[in-house]
Amino acid sequence: MDNLIDMKALLEGVDVFDMSLWLSGLLLILVVIGVRVAFAAAFIGFLGLCLFFMQKQGFDQGLVTAAKLVGQVPHSKTTSYALSLIPTFILIGYLAYYAGLTRYLFEAAKRWIGWTPGGMGVATVFATAGFAAVSGASVATSAVFARIAIPEMLKLGYDKRFAAGVVAAGGTLASLIPPSAILVIYAIIVEQSVGKLLLAGFLPGAVSAVIYAGLVMGLARLRPSLGPPVGGFTWKQRFQSLPGAAPILLVVLIIVLSISFGWATPTEAGALGAGVVLAMALWQGMRWRELKGALMEAAKLSVVIFAMIWGVLIYVRFLGFAKLPDHFADFIAGLPYSPYVVLMCILLVYVVLGMFMDAIGMLILTLPVTFPAVMALNGAVGGEAGALGMTTEECAIWFGIIVVKMAELCLITPPIGLNCFVVAGVAQDARMDISVQDVFRGASPFFVADVVTVIVLVAFPGIVLFLPNLL
Amino acid sequence: MSTPSSVLADDSLLSRIDRSVFRFESLLNLLAGCVIFALVCLAVWNVVGRSVFNAPVPGFVDWTEQLMATFAFLGLAYAQREGAHIRMDIVVGRLSGRRLWAAEWLSVLFMLLMATALIYGTWFHFDRSFDVSKPLWSNDSTIDIGLPLWPSKLLIPFALAVLWLRLALQLWAYGRAFLRADPAPVAVPLIEDPAEQANKEAATVAGARVDRNG
Amino acid sequence: VEWNVSVWGKRREFTEHIEKIAELVEERSNGDFTMAISYGGLSNERENLDGISIGAFEMAQFCAGYHPDKNRAITVLELPLMGVETLEQEVAVARAIYAHPAVQDEMAQWNARLMMTSPMPQYNLVGTGEPRATVESLDGLRVRASGGIGELLAAEGAVPTSVTATEAYNAMESGVVDAVSFAQHAHLSFRTIDVADWWTENLNPGTVNCPVVVNIDAYEALSDENKAILEGAVDDAIQHYLDQYALLLEDWDNVLEEKEIEKVRFSDEELARLAEEAQPIHEAWIAEMTAQGLPGQELYDLARSSLAEAKAAGK
Ligand code: NA
Ligand code: NA
Repeated sequence: MDNLIDMKALLEGVDVFDMSLWLSGLLLILVVIGVRVAFAAAFIGFLGLCLFFMQKQGFDQGLVTAAKLVGQVPHSKTTSYALSLIPTFILIGYLAYYAGLTRYLFEAAKRWIGWTPGGMGVATVFATAGFAAVSGASVATSAVFARIAIPEMLKLGYDKRFAAGVVAAGGTLASLIPPSAILVIYAIIVEQSVGKLLLAGFLPGAVSAVIYAGLVMGLARLRPSLGPPVGGFTWKQRFQSLPGAAPILLVVLIIVLSISFGWATPTEAGALGAGVVLAMALWQGMRWRELKGALMEAAKLSVVIFAMIWGVLIYVRFLGFAKLPDHFADFIAGLPYSPYVVLMCILLVYVVLGMFMDAIGMLILTLPVTFPAVMALNGAVGGEAGALGMTTEECAIWFGIIVVKMAELCLITPPIGLNCFVVAGVAQDARMDISVQDVFRGASPFFVADVVTVIVLVAFPGIVLFLPNLL
Repeated sequence: MSTPSSVLADDSLLSRIDRSVFRFESLLNLLAGCVIFALVCLAVWNVVGRSVFNAPVPGFVDWTEQLMATFAFLGLAYAQREGAHIRMDIVVGRLSGRRLWAAEWLSVLFMLLMATALIYGTWFHFDRSFDVSKPLWSNDSTIDIGLPLWPSKLLIPFALAVLWLRLALQLWAYGRAFLRADPAPVAVPLIEDPAEQANKEAATVAGARVDRNG
Repeated sequence: VEWNVSVWGKRREFTEHIEKIAELVEERSNGDFTMAISYGGLSNERENLDGISIGAFEMAQFCAGYHPDKNRAITVLELPLMGVETLEQEVAVARAIYAHPAVQDEMAQWNARLMMTSPMPQYNLVGTGEPRATVESLDGLRVRASGGIGELLAAEGAVPTSVTATEAYNAMESGVVDAVSFAQHAHLSFRTIDVADWWTENLNPGTVNCPVVVNIDAYEALSDENKAILEGAVDDAIQHYLDQYALLLEDWDNVLEEKEIEKVRFSDEELARLAEEAQPIHEAWIAEMTAQGLPGQELYDLARSSLAEAKAAGK
C-alpha cells in the first residue's frame, strides 16, 4: 500500500481507550482557546476516528473511512422526529416574546414580588418559571429573558453578574416544566411514556423555582449591593398586570388538554401551542417584518443547537469506537457499595461530564449506560418496589427528572455551559458589557441551589411521582 | 428581534464579496425559518385533519424528518457570519490587535479543515443514496411512505460548501487584518465596546423612550 | 482478529443469534477470532448498511423496511400476507431468497455479504376498543403500520397514521391511533400491549426482514479456518435465536391472559378475501422490480415455492 506515512506501524500497540482520554484532553484545549465548540468536538471525533481506522487500514484508507463515517453523522443524527420539537419550542419562545407574553409576565412578576430582597431577581425566577410553561427549550428561555430582564436590572443598578446569572439559571427551569424538549428526548431514549414524564416535571420545576427564589433573597439580604427591591406598586396596579399574563394559562390548558383528551401526541401538542402563540402574536399586531425577525432568530438558534448536536455526536461516535461507554458500565457494575452511594457516584459523574458537554449530547452519550445501571440498582421486579423504594416504571420516570436536572446543571457550569454562552451572546448582540465569565460567575450560586434540589428529589421521590401516578 | 450585524463594511473587494455572500446566507437562513413555520402548520394540519376528518397527513413523520435537514443546516454559514456559533471566549476575549487576529485565523482554520472533511464525507453519504438509474433517482428511502432521502442528504454538503466559502472569506479577512495590524477589520464579526449601548437596549425593551443621556 | 459488530437498541431476543455467533466463534477459534458487539455506539440503525459499505465495521444487522430503496430485492420478504405462520418458515424463505444471485449482487453493491436472517414474527395488530375480526371492520381504523402492511390495510379503508415506534404507546393511550402493528417483542417493549383490548392472532399481515451481513473485504481477509468457523456457527446461532424466541412467545400468551386481552381470529373466508386484496400489491411489486431490471417474478415465485416447501416439511 502506497501510504504517505506508515500509520499502521506508527500506531502499532496504541490503545484506543487511552487515545480517547488524550484526545478528550485535547478537545478541552481547543475549546478553551476559542474554537467554536461544535467544530472542536467534531474535529476531535474525526481525528480520533482517523487514528482508529489508520491503525487498522493504513493512512489513505483510514482517512477515507473516517471522513465517510463522520459524514454520516450530521444527516442521520439531526433528521430525527423527536428533535423536530426543538425549533418548534424555540419559535414558540420568540413568538411569545412578540406576542408580549414575556414582557407582561415579567411586569406582573415585578409588581407582585419585586418588593422582596433582590426583588427583580426573584421576579425573573418566577417569570422564567411561568414562561417555561410555553417554552420547551432552556436556551431559548434564557435568550428571551436576557433581552428583557437583564437590561431592566442593569438600569436599576443590579450587579451585572448577578443579573446574568439569574437569567441563565432561570432558563433551566424550562426543561423541567412542560413542554420540555429534553424530557421528550429522555423519554424516547429510555422508551417511557412522554406524557407521564412531562407531568412528572411540573412539581420538581416548581420546587426548583422556589429554591432559586430563596437563594436570590438570601444573597440579596447578605449583599444588598447585588440589587435593590422594587416596591411601590398599588394593589390596583398589581391586578391590572394579570390579564396580560393570562394567555400563558390558555396555552398551558391547550397543551395539557390536547394530551389528556387524545387530540394530539405530546410532539404535536408542542406544535399546537406554537400555533396558538402565533395567533396571539398576530392578534397583538405582529406583521411580516416581525415574523421574519422571529423566523430568522429561530432558524439561527436552531442551526447553532443542531450543530452542537451533530458536532458532539461525531465525538461521541468516536467514543463508541473507543468503547468508552462500555468501560464506564463495567466500572459502575463493579462497585461494591449501597445503591444510594452508587447513585451519588453516577450523579457526580454527571456533574463532571456536564462541565464539558452539552445537555443533549450528554444524555445521548450516557443514558444507554446509566439508565440500565440505575434500573439495576433499584432492582425492582414486577410491580414491587426496589432498593430505591420505587417500581421499575416509577424509577424510570424519577431518574428522568433527576438526570434532566443534572443535564440542566451542565447548562450553567463552566467551561461549556450553553445557557451562559447564550446569555453572553445576547448580551454581546445587545452591546451589553457582560462576558461569558461574568455569566458563569453569576450562575455559580445556582449550582448550589440545584444540588439542594437534587438532594430533595432523591430524598422525597413523591414530589416527582405524585402527578404521573394520578394518570 | 433581529439585531444589526456588527460586521463592518467598506468598498474593498473583500467587503463587497462579504456582503453579497451575506445576502445569499440570509436568504438560506430565512428559508430555514420558513420551514420551521411550515412544520408547525403541518403538525396543526395533521392534528386537525386526524381529529376532524379522520384524515391525518400521510407520512407525517417522514416528511417532518426530511424537512428537518433545512433548519438543521441551511443557516450554518449565516450563523458563522453573525458569530453565533457557540464558543468560549476566556482566552480570545483578552486578546486584541494582531494576537487576536492570529487566534481567530487559527480557529477559523480548524473549522475550515473540519468543514472540508465533512463536505467530503457528507457528499459520499448523499452519493450512496443517489442513483440516476433508479426511480426518483433514489437509492435510499424513508421507512413509512418511501420518500427518497437524497434531497435532504444533498442539502448538507451544499450548506457546508456555503460555510466553507464563508470560512475562506474570514480566513482572508483575519489574515489581512493580521498583516495590516488593522484595529477594526471588515467582513468579520466584531465584539464592539458595548458599555453605552446597554442602556439604549434596556430602554427600548422596556418600551420607554430612549434616554441618550443615560 | 477482532470484528466490530453494529446493532442497535439493547440486547434482546432479536439480537440473541448475534450474541451466540460471537460466543461460538470465539470458543471454536480458541480466542483467535472475536467479535465486539456494540448496541448503537457505531452507527444509527438506518445507517448500518452505509457503515458496512465504507468499512467502518465488519458485521451489522439491519431491517430491509427501514430503507426499502437500499435493498429492493429482499423486500420480497416483506410483502403483506404471504402466508408465513412460523419463525421456522421465515428462516427457510429468507435462506432461499438470500441465496439468489440477484439478492447477493444488490448486497455486494454495499460491500455486504448476507450471513443469516433475524426471523421476525408476523406484525399482528394490537388495538383498543371493539375487536376487529372482519375485513369490513377495518374500515376507518386508525393504524400505525408502515410499508406493505400499511398499504394493505389502507386498501381495506383503514387510515395509516404516522407515529414513531416510541410514540406508539402514547398515541394508543390518547386515541391518536386505534391499533398498532408490531412483532410481539415490540408490543412488549413499546408497551402498546399495556393499553390494548385485543390482538389479531391469525391475521399475519406480514413482517420486516432483518438480515445480518458482513463486510465482504473483511470476510475475504479471514483465514480459511475462521471462515469455516463463522459459516459453521450460523445454524447453531439461528437455533439459539429460535429457542429464545419460543420462550418469549410462551410468555406472550401469559401476558395476554394476565391483561385480559382478547385474541381475535379472522375466519378462513375473511383471510381468503384479504389475500385476494393483497394480490394487486404483490403484482405491483413484481412489475416495479422488473422495470428496474430485477428478476421480480423469479424472486416472488422463489419466496412462494420455498414457503410451500417449508410448510410441507412441517415447519
Ligand atoms: Na417548558
Ligand atoms: Na457545563
